[in-house]
Amino acid sequence: MEKPEFITKIEGHGALHFNWQKNKVWLEVAEGERLFEGMVVGRPATDLYWITPRICGVCPIAHNLAALKCVENTLGLKISDSTVLLRKLLLDAQMIQSHVLHLYFLVAPDYLGLDSGLEIIQTHPVYFQQALELKRVSDLIADMVGGRGIHPTATAAGGFHKVPSTEQLRGLRDEAEKMLAAAEGCVHLFSSLNYPEVKADFSLFSQANGKTYEVYDMKFITSNKKLKARSVGFEKVIDEEIKPYSTAKFGYHEGKGMMVGALARLALQGKLLKGRAKEFFKTADIDFQNPYHNNLAQAIETYHFVQEANGILEKLIENGVDSKATELPKEYKPKRASRGVGMVEAPRGGLYYEIEVDTQGLITHCNIITPTVQNLSSMEETAQVVLNQIKGQSKEKIQELLEMLIRAYDPCITCSVH
Amino acid sequence: MVSGVEPKPKLAIFDFTDCEGCEVALVSLREKLLDLAGEIEIVNWRLAQRRADEGPYDVVLIEGTPITQEEIDTLKFLREQTKILVGLGSCATLAGIPGIIDKESRGFWYKKIYGEKYKPRGIDALPLTAYVKVNYLIHGCPVEKKEVVRVMEELLAGKAPKPRGYSVCFECKLAGNPCRLLAKKICLGPITQGGCGAICISGGSPCYGCFGLRDSAQIDNLLHTLYKFSDSPEVEQYFSMFLKKTPEYARLFKRPRVKNGKT
Repeated sequence: MEKPEFITKIEGHGALHFNWQKNKVWLEVAEGERLFEGMVVGRPATDLYWITPRICGVCPIAHNLAALKCVENTLGLKISDSTVLLRKLLLDAQMIQSHVLHLYFLVAPDYLGLDSGLEIIQTHPVYFQQALELKRVSDLIADMVGGRGIHPTATAAGGFHKVPSTEQLRGLRDEAEKMLAAAEGCVHLFSSLNYPEVKADFSLFSQANGKTYEVYDMKFITSNKKLKARSVGFEKVIDEEIKPYSTAKFGYHEGKGMMVGALARLALQGKLLKGRAKEFFKTADIDFQNPYHNNLAQAIETYHFVQEANGILEKLIENGVDSKATELPKEYKPKRASRGVGMVEAPRGGLYYEIEVDTQGLITHCNIITPTVQNLSSMEETAQVVLNQIKGQSKEKIQELLEMLIRAYDPCITCSVH
Repeated sequence: MVSGVEPKPKLAIFDFTDCEGCEVALVSLREKLLDLAGEIEIVNWRLAQRRADEGPYDVVLIEGTPITQEEIDTLKFLREQTKILVGLGSCATLAGIPGIIDKESRGFWYKKIYGEKYKPRGIDALPLTAYVKVNYLIHGCPVEKKEVVRVMEELLAGKAPKPRGYSVCFECKLAGNPCRLLAKKICLGPITQGGCGAICISGGSPCYGCFGLRDSAQIDNLLHTLYKFSDSPEVEQYFSMFLKKTPEYARLFKRPRVKNGKT
């Protein structure tokens, strides 16, 4: 294999390879293996949510929350209403941070004809200010609720070490309100772009609970191909395959690629959106067979998460944070050896954890399936579709379109190799 | 380094195996990053731009652990291509979280996680200094934004940055946190370089020493205190979080291996 040229502006080291004679394309993942599932074995269950956020610096909160839920499920711990609200707020902040970073810094340059996201300040100062505002406030929420945005310090199995005061929550609400206008700008910008026209008959998967547009409290895994399985049985839905050219596994469902993330969530949960997010969704005219529209979907979701964060802050201020949120168990040991799972929808899609713990509270087994593992299969298949559908273009142009396609999926290679 | 007509110093940012959280912290600098970007020329940054100039560079920042042969070769090559090489974050400076896995146990986990036929790429998770001379280490998991700015500004002013001359304890006191040791909770703050602002302890988490050992750290004195209320496996669990590939860890905890892949 020739020396890979890594795709720029994605999180981690992935490279597209072409065999132009055979019209074939494949995706090499070359990130080194860190072996997280081995790393945590022999360590206390409470180390899980400290260590695994380090799988990914772009979505550490999603990993932290999935790991917390997994440990709580395994040890049979209950959490309070305020804990749930604060965690949902954290996850909203995570979604906004991640989507904004991806949309403005990694994707927008493709469509605005720029080399780097940093150049947008000169060419599109208003949009850039909005991006900075969204990033600033979502970072602030993550810092204040999580203790630190990148790799949280205040969260714990059973609740929180520390929670923000009502005064701090009021301050956050005043800031969070400012995100509404910026998020509207985000929807406008990403609705105005000319996305490449591609039709792919791919399978979209999202977790859901059927009641609200949900990313934290998951019940089922659904698909646009009529799947409905319980989230806890994720290992039956996703088959991980090992490829000789990749340090990441590829996730398949019944032999076919799976697409997860914003586009899939809107396809499967979009009708549950509320308020202005619902209006934006209706007028956006998203094509659920066009993978490039994932970016438009991320923009609409950004508005939704901003809206939800504002709502949660109002609720927390009104009712106050209950004292149970900071009442943590003295010991983290199960009565007998136990197994448990934990899952959330991360910015890039379904994130699944499973552990086994012995009576000392030490981890004896761990399995983690990340969203990008699932998306890799679809990325490779869709890249092939684009290659087949686009004719009469130069190799450079095709390569560029395919790199844009990979970026549209917002792959997190670091997550995929963990 | 910078004066009126001279060209701006060329900065390149590279990442090896890691979570990229330290690069995300760079992006989180927002306006401050743009200020820095005005004083320097970022000529190569895969995460953020297509422009990828070849060397030589003035400053190279490296995030992550060189875990594959390609990464080790790239590291050695970059060392020759740059005047100043800076490690960014604990993976680069200490081997950090990836360093929890020992070289000897990798084979066991490859088989367990990837199966028998898999050809692994990773060799061992070690800090940059295992392979090349590094001019400065910006510790942290993730790095503290203020420390990144301080180091970059000092480098731009032609100074050689130095680590903080105090431990985490100093900043922890300033933050008004109750002392973990007095509450009989394990803490590596006393032997760890300051600069983090005691952010983990302020959030309610322990200090695992991700900022690296401070100069003349009194490790044995700390152990003496820790063993009054905890046992060796517990203490080791703290030292093994970020410091497992340090000589001090080897001195304190290395013992004959057991067979099941765990050490």
